[in-house]
Amino acid sequence: MSSKIKHNQYGYLFVAPFILGFLIFGLYPVVNTIALSFTDKTLMSATSSFIGFRNFQNLFADSTFMTAITNTWELWLMNFIPQIAIAFILAIWFTNTRLKIKGVGIWRMIFYMPNLMMASAVAALFFSLFSFYGPVNQLLVRSDILPEAVDFLRNPQIARGLVVFIQWWMWFGQTTILLMAAMTAISPSLYEAAWVDGAGTFQMFTRITLPLIKPVLIYILVTSLVGGMQMFDIPYLLTDGRGSPANSILTNNINMYMKFHSSKGHIGAASSVGVIVFLMTSAVALLIFFLLREKHSTGKEIKEK
Amino acid sequence: MKTNYSRSTHILRFLVYFLMVVLVVITIIPIWMLIVNATRSTVEIQQGLSLLPSRYLVSNYKILLSKGLDLPRGFLNSFTISILTTIVTVYFSLLTAYGIVSYDFKGKKALYNFIIVLVMIPMQLSIIGFYQWMSKLGLSDSYAALILPSIASAGSVFFAKQYLESIMLHELIDAGRIDGCSELGIFHRIMLPIAVPGAFTMGIFAFVASWNNFFTAFILITSRDKYTLPMLVQTLRGDVYRHEYGAIYLGLAASVVPIIVIYFLFSRYIVNGISMGAVKE
Repeated sequence: MSSKIKHNQYGYLFVAPFILGFLIFGLYPVVNTIALSFTDKTLMSATSSFIGFRNFQNLFADSTFMTAITNTWELWLMNFIPQIAIAFILAIWFTNTRLKIKGVGIWRMIFYMPNLMMASAVAALFFSLFSFYGPVNQLLVRSDILPEAVDFLRNPQIARGLVVFIQWWMWFGQTTILLMAAMTAISPSLYEAAWVDGAGTFQMFTRITLPLIKPVLIYILVTSLVGGMQMFDIPYLLTDGRGSPANSILTNNINMYMKFHSSKGHIGAASSVGVIVFLMTSAVALLIFFLLREKHSTGKEIKEK
Repeated sequence: MKTNYSRSTHILRFLVYFLMVVLVVITIIPIWMLIVNATRSTVEIQQGLSLLPSRYLVSNYKILLSKGLDLPRGFLNSFTISILTTIVTVYFSLLTAYGIVSYDFKGKKALYNFIIVLVMIPMQLSIIGFYQWMSKLGLSDSYAALILPSIASAGSVFFAKQYLESIMLHELIDAGRIDGCSELGIFHRIMLPIAVPGAFTMGIFAFVASWNNFFTAFILITSRDKYTLPMLVQTLRGDVYRHEYGAIYLGLAASVVPIIVIYFLFSRYIVNGISMGAVKE
């Protein structure tokens, strides 16, 4: 027994590199970003001074910043809702024992593929497909669907639609796989018992499936939100890297990058964007996690019976 | 058997297959076009859409090089970073997870909960502080700043912990101790060999994530000869390539084809790996 306790001290040795790595490359950069956000530091200046909350005051007075925040939320929601909806439908079909869909593994494999594609390459692809002289215009004009070429990427609605579509395209497969895994983990005996008791398909879904896959739903929601709030590659590369047309696809990260990459390299102001979005996202993510997590213990008990 | 199905099930099944075929087309077409257009000349591409490959792959490549885009270099850079990131991620995540699974030390539960919370924190948003800190350390234009942070990959540790718990053999570890193995020796000589399949899955995900990572490299790397593939892809939009569609597509295809090959070889590992981190509590 005493040797066991002695061994246990080694646990610290094993987790030490992680903790050290986190302190140096994770925590300190966060602290440093917060510290910078209270200064007027630029990349060009050797010195900088503490300016209190002025960066933050500037941000909240800046309509571009507010546009970026709203855009990011909208772009995320517009792709997340259809994404989870389609993933639900596919997962229900794939796991349905009466439908007996053939080749589930292959369908699933194809649907997941876009997730592995380099986002910047996909954005560049759509940029070239939908450019003024690009193949989409060629095709639509030649086949008389359009009277003349349209500058798709100068149209705010179309630009947004493309960002939303690409995001959806890249993520619906992954969400389907996660939902399926959660659904197949539910014991069939639960459904049989419910069926004997006269429950309908819809009732089974809301009373058995939904409560039991709740942990996975939370995981999907939170990871998607955190990823969505940091959206950069696709809106950045789809147009001019400034959220054009008319700031319609300007996201938080693009806004932050623009401040960082301005002629002076205003990293104090860029940091303040990072800090606000960081706080907003973390707060919402943790709130979702803790609010929804509490209740799922009842589902676990059923499962273990 | 067939008569057992009701008419509505048949209709539903037809609808399901039909919709899935539509989804497959939507999924595949952009990727397919990207690859096919890499083999077509700019004139052909401008003449219209086609799903059949042509024979201009080599000439597109020559155009790309003549415009000063060092594709092989970018390929090598991306590959170097991705391989090193993969090794660091897999090794240190397993090390950390093994420490949590195998030992009972004070604060272990708190550390694990902290790691779960860390998965939910948007770390990319501290990139400015990260950049400035790396500049101070003299690492701002170096690959070290891209690779070393993966020592602490919360998501991978989470996955590794689930995996190690499912394969853990305490008897084997005790036997190792009796044979006089050191604690680190047990990890290296007993645990790592058993954990190879899980390590492999983790490795694929780490590799793909690093290969596709644009933002961090874009902020940190400034020397042209250190550019990674996603950064080169970004330069393809510039004026130099304005009317060289074939060459642009070739550049794009070169950056996604390796991942497609990896996917066809290991899709089983990948698809099973996605749910492993999330589904088990």
